[in-house]
Amino acid sequence: MEQGTIERDIHVDASPEVVFEVVSQPEHMREWWPDDARFESVAGAPGELIWRNADTGETTTVALAVVEVDPPKRFSFRWCFTEPDRSGPALLVTFDLTPAGTGTQIRMTETGFREMGWEIAVLEARYQDHENGWDHYLPRLGGYVARLVATP
Amino acid sequence: MSAAVDDELWSAIGDPTRRTMIDLLLSDGPGTATSLSRRLPVTRQAVSKHLAVLDRVGLIHAETAGRERHYQVDEAQLARAVAQLSAVGATWDARLRRIKRVAETIERSRHHDEGG
Repeated sequence: MEQGTIERDIHVDASPEVVFEVVSQPEHMREWWPDDARFESVAGAPGELIWRNADTGETTTVALAVVEVDPPKRFSFRWCFTEPDRSGPALLVTFDLTPAGTGTQIRMTETGFREMGWEIAVLEARYQDHENGWDHYLPRLGGYVARLVATP
Repeated sequence: MSAAVDDELWSAIGDPTRRTMIDLLLSDGPGTATSLSRRLPVTRQAVSKHLAVLDRVGLIHAETAGRERHYQVDEAQLARAVAQLSAVGATWDARLRRIKRVAETIERSRHHDEGG
């Protein structure tokens, strides 16, 4: 039962350069994952992912550390550290990008579940998303594209 | 099954020694505290405690044969635990769909800019 790794592939109709920006820049990461992301996209840089509870206004901050930045091929970071100073076992998320036709193949791997115990998987699921996915996301994306187009 | 029971299930399976014990019971078939302790760097007493935890959450069940209890894996319950890890994978599916959507939207807007 080697279940310590999650691996996913997805094809994207966008160039590796664009996909790399989306997975590795905090301003883009906010559109697909936490409510806020703060980090410099530089190997070794510390950072934070932030979730806001819409009802209570409380925020949850999770430490992150950028591991590898190799545009437009690979971006990886660690999160869910077991120690407060970004040390000890952590989950490692890696995005590997490969050109595929006019688009890009993304391979996402998240490892460390086995080393950290499977409880962490439950913890990870807690930081899922704003769920329920599209209800929240579609209005957001509309505003996002509008801002993007408005940018000179 | 309640969330509390699920938490127990997860912490039962979260321990590396207990995962190794499940691996051994799956690969070698039913075993006893004695037979498992021979394969593991822990005492028979420690193995017995781990077996009790696994038994309590239903990941293994025991039959008494002769002087010792023989344990085997409850594959249905193990499948439930594995399914929960798959649920974590599903959260990544959702994130990746959004990555795709955002990247494709940017790509189209840039093409549009170049074309226009």
